[in-house]
Amino acid sequence: MSLVTRRFLLGAGAAASASVVTGTAQARILPRDMVPLIGPGYRAVDPDEKGLWQQMERVEEEVAGSNILITDPKLTHYLQGIIGHVGGPAAKDMRIYLAHIPEFNAVMFPTGFAVVFSGLLLRMRNEAQLAGVIAHESGHFLRKHQLRQWRDVKRKSDIFSALSLVGGMAGGVAGLYTGDLQQLAQLGTILSLFRYNRELEAEADATGIRLIAEAGYAPNAMPETWQQLIAEEDLSARYRRKRRDRGYSLFETHPAPEARMADLRISAAEVTVPGKVYDDHRERYLTAIGAIRPMLIDDQIKLNDPGASLYIVETLARDGWNGQLRFAEAEIWRLRGDIKQHDAERAAQGYAAAVGYADAPPDAWRWHGVMLQKAGRAADARAAYARYLALAPNAPDAPFVRQQMGS
Amino acid sequence: MRRFAAALLLASTLGGCIQTRQYADLQFMPPQGDYKLLVLRPDVSVGSVTTGGLVEQRADWTDAGRANLLTALREQQGARGGNLTIMERRSSLPDVPAKTVADIERLNYAVDSAIAQHKYSGDTLPTKRRRGLDYTLGEDAIAFGRRTGFDYMLFLHAEDSIASTGRVAMQLLGVAGCFIGFCAPSGGGGQLAYASLVDLRTGEVVWFNLLQTGSQLPGVGVSDIRTPAGASMMVERLLGRMKPGRNAARGLRA
Repeated sequence: MSLVTRRFLLGAGAAASASVVTGTAQARILPRDMVPLIGPGYRAVDPDEKGLWQQMERVEEEVAGSNILITDPKLTHYLQGIIGHVGGPAAKDMRIYLAHIPEFNAVMFPTGFAVVFSGLLLRMRNEAQLAGVIAHESGHFLRKHQLRQWRDVKRKSDIFSALSLVGGMAGGVAGLYTGDLQQLAQLGTILSLFRYNRELEAEADATGIRLIAEAGYAPNAMPETWQQLIAEEDLSARYRRKRRDRGYSLFETHPAPEARMADLRISAAEVTVPGKVYDDHRERYLTAIGAIRPMLIDDQIKLNDPGASLYIVETLARDGWNGQLRFAEAEIWRLRGDIKQHDAERAAQGYAAAVGYADAPPDAWRWHGVMLQKAGRAADARAAYARYLALAPNAPDAPFVRQQMGS
Repeated sequence: MRRFAAALLLASTLGGCIQTRQYADLQFMPPQGDYKLLVLRPDVSVGSVTTGGLVEQRADWTDAGRANLLTALREQQGARGGNLTIMERRSSLPDVPAKTVADIERLNYAVDSAIAQHKYSGDTLPTKRRRGLDYTLGEDAIAFGRRTGFDYMLFLHAEDSIASTGRVAMQLLGVAGCFIGFCAPSGGGGQLAYASLVDLRTGEVVWFNLLQTGSQLPGVGVSDIRTPAGASMMVERLLGRMKPGRNAARGLRA
């Protein structure tokens, strides 16, 4: 979801204009106004855009050859299919890469290639939600956001440096010190750059919702995603005894999640066709990510962010508990290991629940065995270990487990 | 009158400035005679400095700059007797998969970045002081050299920027301001380039040079790699006078 990084903006803004920022909220951008600015087979036109594309060629080569990509051909084909479905006029031109990074994020680059983080696939409950995020990213490309952002930075930095020079000279003639004023103008410039970036994000949201509606996905999937993200961040903060960063700062590159969710809800109602039946394609989605889902869950649990992990597990479990999710839940408590909160007991219960499901991962049996052994139930522990070894005969710790069974 | 003199003094001291600083492995001797040199894809960018001081890359200028640099490099190394191969793409080495080349390129880039940081940016490492250039790409580079038959590997990074009309106007105004008591000289275009040489028989980075040029004189550039002459000048400044390492130089004198 990031178009540019905050550091880039602060850096660029340090050289930049004196437009005045008002604190009023931005009006909602209407999906019907979000007409794509490019057609199929689009190539860079102006010199500044050509320069940008040239830089990106090398970036894409690095991304495409990076060893943090998940390159499972079926999965990448699936993602390419989604962008081909919600990519508007550029559907056939855009490329999509899946990076193995356990965070909720996706990025679009100026030449039309997107990078989706694996943490996103973990959090999405169905294809419609995923399509919403991908459509948002397509929106950045279709509306030429990176180029417009760059031109905005350029224009404002030009104005700022010209004004500060002229102002300084006027001050020099009048014998006044203008340094304070200049700093204020610089702050104004930086703030206006962030504001412009937030406006582009809102545009991408409006474009995205229009695209998924046209592709036949339930528009409501987009505000749902935000609702999930807000709740996850709330719970994550609560478990750390902190308050969620509510994102109302003037230095925010993206609009506050609440504002985005509220706008998306209204927009969703606007583009929903009454009486039409929308499919969220949950089954298809689960089949596509099935092979990597255990890994995705494992990545998240190892972040040791119990609030967020618990929220994600419980959200996914809304579509039904299974051995994998119960095992994940137990792992959350075991890794936190808070004695006062009886995490060990909670974990033991979780493993016991997990092995009740046919799809429990081998590790659930192993940890179930460890917990039983700790509780002094040696015979039961041996049975659990035996099951573990049967499921994972080549596990790296198999000799160790055998030794435990013998003792 | 005093103000005028001050402005003149300022303009002359801020004129063109060119800096190079090279480091070499203590035992380094510049390659001579019949050596085989591989030039990794040079990383070149040429842009225009906007009024506000940002650099905007220009595709046509960059293409011209890269082509000129390659020509200049060929001429210069050819004159030294070296047998030069310039790699245009990762896939352009026969019998070597693009992935292997990519790995070497990335490793080389990471080590060069460390050299730039610890030798030039002031973050000096106590373990590397007074030891010349003490960096290596390790076994992978030796294996790469054996596989490809090259003796040396050179990497070139070059950035050049040319002040736009708006920027030149800003610079002029900034200096003109000195006459009324508000001096605000600002930078125009400039170059930042570095080159690193790896001995593929030992895997070590044996030589590194960094070039920085800049001009604060409005409308005056130091050299411009969009022209063949400017590119030759950059190659000459970077690679022209390769100094041997300290110990090797002692051996020569003895």
